[in-house]
Amino acid sequence: MRGTYLEYQVRTVPTGLSKILHVNWPLALAIAAVTAVGILQLTSVAGGSFGRWAEPQAIRLGVGLLGMLIVALVPIWFWRNMAAVAYVTALLMLVAVEVAGSIGMGAQRWLDLGFIRIQPSELMKVALVMALAAYYDWLDPERTSRPVWVILPLLLIGVPVLLILMQPHLGTAVLTVLIGVTVMFLAGVSIWYFAAAALIGGGTVASVFLTRGTPWQLLHDYQYRRIDTFLDPAADPLGAGYNIIQAKIALGSGGWAGKGFMQGTQSRLNFLPEKHTDFIFTTLGEEFGLVGGLSLLLLYALILFFCIASALQMRDRFSALLVLGIAATLFYNLVINLAMVMGLAPVVGLPLPFLSYGGSNLLVLLLAFGLVQSAHVHRPRSRA
Amino acid sequence: MIRRPLRPLARVLSARARGENPDAIERENRRLRHEAMRDNARSQAELRLLVLGVCFISAFVLIGAQMATLARSPAEEPRASAPGADILATRADVVDRHGRVLATNLATRALYAHPDEMIDPVRTAAELARIFPDMDQAQLLADFTGDRRFLWLRRTLSPEQVQAVHDIGEPGLNFAPREMRLYPNGALAAHVLGGTQFGREGVSAAEVVGTAGVERTFDASLRDPAGGGRPLTLSIDLTVQAATETILGAGMRMMNARAASAVIMDAHTGEIVAMASLPDFDPNSRPAPPTQGSPADSPIFNHALQGVYELGSTFKVLTIAQALELGLVNPSTIIDTRGPMTWGRFRIRDFRNYGPELSVTDIIVKSSNIGTARIAGLIGIDRQQDFLRTLGFFEPTPVEMAESARARPILPQRWSEISMLTISYGHGLSASPVHLAAAYAGLVNGGTRVTPTILRRDRPEQGERIVSEATSAMIRAMLREAVVHGTATMADVPGYAVGGKTGTADKVRATGGYYDDKVMATFAGVFPAHDPRYVFVLSLDEPEETTGVEPRRTAGWTVAPVAGELVRQVAPLLGVRPTFEPGAIESGAPDRLTLTRN
Repeated sequence: MRGTYLEYQVRTVPTGLSKILHVNWPLALAIAAVTAVGILQLTSVAGGSFGRWAEPQAIRLGVGLLGMLIVALVPIWFWRNMAAVAYVTALLMLVAVEVAGSIGMGAQRWLDLGFIRIQPSELMKVALVMALAAYYDWLDPERTSRPVWVILPLLLIGVPVLLILMQPHLGTAVLTVLIGVTVMFLAGVSIWYFAAAALIGGGTVASVFLTRGTPWQLLHDYQYRRIDTFLDPAADPLGAGYNIIQAKIALGSGGWAGKGFMQGTQSRLNFLPEKHTDFIFTTLGEEFGLVGGLSLLLLYALILFFCIASALQMRDRFSALLVLGIAATLFYNLVINLAMVMGLAPVVGLPLPFLSYGGSNLLVLLLAFGLVQSAHVHRPRSRA
Repeated sequence: MIRRPLRPLARVLSARARGENPDAIERENRRLRHEAMRDNARSQAELRLLVLGVCFISAFVLIGAQMATLARSPAEEPRASAPGADILATRADVVDRHGRVLATNLATRALYAHPDEMIDPVRTAAELARIFPDMDQAQLLADFTGDRRFLWLRRTLSPEQVQAVHDIGEPGLNFAPREMRLYPNGALAAHVLGGTQFGREGVSAAEVVGTAGVERTFDASLRDPAGGGRPLTLSIDLTVQAATETILGAGMRMMNARAASAVIMDAHTGEIVAMASLPDFDPNSRPAPPTQGSPADSPIFNHALQGVYELGSTFKVLTIAQALELGLVNPSTIIDTRGPMTWGRFRIRDFRNYGPELSVTDIIVKSSNIGTARIAGLIGIDRQQDFLRTLGFFEPTPVEMAESARARPILPQRWSEISMLTISYGHGLSASPVHLAAAYAGLVNGGTRVTPTILRRDRPEQGERIVSEATSAMIRAMLREAVVHGTATMADVPGYAVGGKTGTADKVRATGGYYDDKVMATFAGVFPAHDPRYVFVLSLDEPEETTGVEPRRTAGWTVAPVAGELVRQVAPLLGVRPTFEPGAIESGAPDRLTLTRN
């Protein structure tokens, strides 16, 4: 079936500026809505000051939306052909960060290109989705589950994950693995591989914890204690636990309908160090309550729904896997952040997509959704 | 995948027989097969997508449920800012043996500023400088208008100051609740209590950390919330402590001493009911340790516990006690005291010539160095060391105060025979007054060792036996005799049968050798001597009694009168009743029958 889709694309795909009409507007509107909430919330967190965080974020949002549109208008098959380039570029940037990090100090996640500071691990997530989608598009479907052809995508995932772990940024590393595995799952890799992986992983975790306290325990005591603190932040109320406690208080004090816009105490007083980045959801929960939180959740669900609905119309594996992979990226990012904020998961330092302050994450996400839009615009139509 | 045969020959043949085109059939077959494959792949992909969708939905439901749970949780005002949210400001009280408060907490406020929330920094700075004259207005203004977002202004405020700052009406000024450590008795028992300072400070609370004394030793347990605020009960008796400090202060001034110390200890339990050291300080504002000069010159130095001195003739009692216990002598044994006694190039002299021979009792009563040294010669080095070790002179005292562990007795580097002789009368071995008090307590209380403590003991301690009951009784009789007829007559108090021994030790020069005009005068005593309840040790550093023609420095003239006054005042407070001494009526000694003196 390879190469076939050019044939029908040419006949049925809109051309020129008329493509704009065929953009997935519901999806674009949902994204715009979420980002607008983000700008509002950043204004509130800054104590009503638009200039502090909201303005730079709004500028980046404008640039990002424009970028999304441009990406959307470029044919999806071009992006398929660029997948390998994108992957290699992102990988090289990760290596560059590693090198710069050894020269600089501390955990190095940024690459300063002068005009913009890029977080290559963010870029890598999208590049990985592209690479895996292109890989499975190229691969003969009958070979999908052959061991050799399973190892190759595993390497595609593993190499960048190792580099991200070296930064070190555990949250993004876990996220990258999840995304990659999800794409592999959707591509139809035999379920037994996943079962085996789950078995081995679960067995390892179980044996690590079951042997604890016995003479043949697998880790040192201090390593167990570190895991404990990681899993139960309440045990470390000064460090990781502090944010959680404050976030829970904020959400609790928000109640059903919240305290009202700009009325949250979290924004007035500096109770939360990360209130404008990773923990921005707490201020939203405090000011708009359960209603606000669930509405935001609904907006995110809408984005995911539109993505899946769009993917169901795709006829080629690249487009479908790309759209679903990017949806999965958004989903995991979102779920891990919210679970972390609400004390369901350890604090790993992941931003809330579209809402948290920070350029890299927002830009990359918008460009990724540009790819989703491109796939949508250039999807095959019925021949009628 | 097992392929179905593309061209079943039978079908091809039968088709040909029917006159149909087998190629068309084959194309049709291939198309159907491809469609089946595609449908199969698609249904599989859709199944997987369904699984993913279920994951998505369940995650959303889970998060929504958690959100609802949190939203339903009772509204709670946010707590303090990040650092110090966990600070526990609780600290238990310290009380004396009768439950009277020695240290407690006072709720007060600290003052801090958020300059970026200030409305009128200029006026605020001016007002603050008016309320707190020691604050610099220009500096305040610079802080308020600079780029600092938070600064502490004041650790503790009085209620008046809180009101005055509040009246400024500046929203950028904030109060932080504080538990301040308060010592309501001021300098009383200052060295025992030690002092505290603020540790980690947060907006909602600040840690109070013990810096010295029992506050330091028991810091962890005082701060332990599991203690439930149960106060720490010391062995100190507040009234006795107050009387002791008053008398010691007066005595120090009268005798022109640089420093003074006193320890009063229960002879049976080892509880320290009073421990005083002068000069003292107010633990509410404990002075900083001196950065230069001798630490012993600082008021925070506890002479009773930290100061190790050559304790002079008070040690003779230890030597005689051991000799009695070993059966080498009895109280009436006659000892050769012709002087000077020479040992190699070393000469031992007495303060004055007491004649060619003295009984053992008279050696104590008149305080003969030569007599004591001769008895030490009978005991020998090894036995002397063992005895002193048993009495606790080889180790720091176990008193539960931060300073005690550092007050290690100074022993001779090589315990030669000369050392043996000089130590027998209190030179060449330095120890603290608390060491001496514990040793005396053990010797006079019937002969069992006591462990000195600053905490109230609920039951008497039965220590190991040091000397027999009989030896203990003999020692008490000798101590009593020294007060009645000997060097310490000024310490006698009618009705309380004070027994005791003076000690006047030349002070050691820092450059080596001894001063000839600076002494450490010590009195170690017990009352009542026939029924020992308390032992006490008093020391005056460089005393000079100047009412005579020449300044008098010996302990009999300087410390003994202070000791007498101390017993006179403190014994009633301790519930010791004035009594006749047993045997006093038979002996007909009139001075032992008076309970009052005009």
